[in-house]
Amino acid sequence: MSSNDIPGPDSETALRVKALESLLLEKGLIETSAIDELIDMFENRLGPWNGAKVVARAWTDPDYKDRLLQNGTAAIAEMGFEAVQGEEMVVVENTAEVHNLVVCTLCSCFPWATLGLPPVWYKSAPFRARAARDPRGVLDEFGTQIGADTELRVWDSNAEVRYMVLPERPVRTEGLNAEALAELVTRDSMIGVSKVASPD
Amino acid sequence: MRTVDLEVVRSLYKLPGAVRMKLDVVPKFKPGDRVKARNIHTSGHTRLPRYARDKVGIIQLDHGVFHLPDARVSGQGDQPQHLYSVRFSARELWGAEAPCKDSINIDLWENYLDSV
Amino acid sequence: MRRRSFLNGVHDMGGMHGFGPIVREADEPVFHEEWEAHTLALARAMLAGLYFNLDEFRHSMERIEPSYYLRSSYYERWLEGTITLLLEKGVISQQEFQARLDELTERRG
Repeated sequence: MSSNDIPGPDSETALRVKALESLLLEKGLIETSAIDELIDMFENRLGPWNGAKVVARAWTDPDYKDRLLQNGTAAIAEMGFEAVQGEEMVVVENTAEVHNLVVCTLCSCFPWATLGLPPVWYKSAPFRARAARDPRGVLDEFGTQIGADTELRVWDSNAEVRYMVLPERPVRTEGLNAEALAELVTRDSMIGVSKVASPD
Repeated sequence: MRTVDLEVVRSLYKLPGAVRMKLDVVPKFKPGDRVKARNIHTSGHTRLPRYARDKVGIIQLDHGVFHLPDARVSGQGDQPQHLYSVRFSARELWGAEAPCKDSINIDLWENYLDSV
Repeated sequence: MRRRSFLNGVHDMGGMHGFGPIVREADEPVFHEEWEAHTLALARAMLAGLYFNLDEFRHSMERIEPSYYLRSSYYERWLEGTITLLLEKGVISQQEFQARLDELTERRG
């Protein structure tokens, strides 16, 4: 289930996709423009830069942060991103006392509107299986340290609520504005496998 | 069977929070309640992970009313009901060796839960 | 072609052991192959057109034969889930799908 095992462009799988698409087009059930629009949306318009903006705003605007933690769906909607799945969003905050980690053990549900499509590792069996039972082991693999005293909360996204982590603001960022802060925020930190690093 | 053109795609789920149902349903549980996940074994569709079956947790949040996936797949309608975020301690799920402070939160429909 | 269902399917993998390390790829692209992008688009389009719903789609993937489920990639499962549902709902027939596939296979050589 890693990216090494993905069938290539001349594979049977690729042909099956072509067969399906050509049949559906011929039958008039779908139009090419619809396919192109969907690909463009997922490939270019959705991505973690959206989530990074939410995080940076929460770090610099305490009222927004309150609204975000109270009602993630409404606060994220304020940002004007494309809604993709009509999902409910819940944002969970990382602090010195609590570290949050998001997974979907049953399939690979992910907050597309704020983070785009998930990376292969998130969808893989090792992560889906281990994040539930040994989240500290997962953080170890990612080189992320949390205290033995820190409470670790895993969120299994098994319904239509999507979870996003509000990571801790790193040190030595006092002078940065929201735009500069957003540049520091990684997708991994909003899943909860990493922390946001301080700028060099 | 409608043709999926650009318009159909552009109109899809444009509203955040569109999946939640705007229905007034009396919730059976509230945050703080202790609940036990049912021992559901099915070859149909369910979103109750097997690691939570028969485990006791505490309601953290009421997410509101959603349709029940199990019912939609088995052709039994939407069965709108409350969906809750339920916290299970790591020790409850994984045994005494698990870190005592850790937990996992799962979203569970009322149909999946019994009071304790 | 009705795909049977599994009790306690392998998709329900929270807490399972033995899958090895989490393999990561630096700077991975959104799609590794063009067919992946098309698979996603076709599935989302069929959902938008109400040919099937999201719950049926998930269940369709849960019904994938376990050893294929574990060795296949994410979009391969999306593809199989989509094809299965469209066949089961009579949107396409097995014969026409196979005929088209044979045609394309011959052309590829």
